[in-house]
Amino acid sequence: MSMSLAQRVLLTWIFSLIFLIMLVLKLDDKIHWNWFLVFLPVWTFDTILLLMLIVKMAGRCKPGFDPRNAGDNLKKRVWYLVAILLKLAFSLLLCARLQDLTNIWLSFICIPLWALLIGAMVELGYNVFHF
Amino acid sequence: MLFSLRELVQWLGFATFELFLHLAALLAFSVFVALRVDLLTTVSWWLVFVPLFAADGLSTYFTAIVSIRLYQEGEERLAVLRLLWVLTVLSLKLVCEVLLCQKLAEQTRDPLFGLIVSPLFVLLQLLMIRACRVN
Repeated sequence: MSMSLAQRVLLTWIFSLIFLIMLVLKLDDKIHWNWFLVFLPVWTFDTILLLMLIVKMAGRCKPGFDPRNAGDNLKKRVWYLVAILLKLAFSLLLCARLQDLTNIWLSFICIPLWALLIGAMVELGYNVFHF
Repeated sequence: MLFSLRELVQWLGFATFELFLHLAALLAFSVFVALRVDLLTTVSWWLVFVPLFAADGLSTYFTAIVSIRLYQEGEERLAVLRLLWVLTVLSLKLVCEVLLCQKLAEQTRDPLFGLIVSPLFVLLQLLMIRACRVN
């Protein structure tokens, strides 16, 4: 990762803070914006993550790429890509439901979130119990 | 993804197992919320929040054990700092959860969401300060 830890923390912190403020204002009826607009920090943050990941994956196509350990790295990056897409799917479905565009059950909306959480638990569990 | 596991552990101050525990609690909580909203609309919100409360309790227990062990091994400063940090984070999280649960259970206008989320704002500031120290 080319960004330093402080830069990554700052990026996460700023988007979390803006999202929390907008969420609170919307929930307390202080603003009457569309839910998709309230989730704008989430969309922006996910887009940045997605772009960073795609740039990293595109780095494999460079002429001087070292293929040692590339298999493991690629698997990890594909999982990260799937995780971001699952998070995006959950946020989109939740926004659509909150905005009354659809009336599907919350259980269906939560399926991408559950898949994401189970995947994260498997990855964390592997780290806890194998090392 | 954005952070490695080692960076996350350093930044948040929780052990990997505690992070696993909180993720499991979040999974169980999201399942309970979905069930409560879709099917079991009469079940109390306090029951729905049980996984989060349980995770906080277990995390406190593990932290107490780890701190006692660190203290016995002569790492008094580290033990006290770890205990203080984790208890601060968990208490802020717990206050937010209890206020939210109370609001959902009683269906009243008070307390406002601004007040309910205020512990999370404090937590965000603390995490930023800690990130500067870790870096």
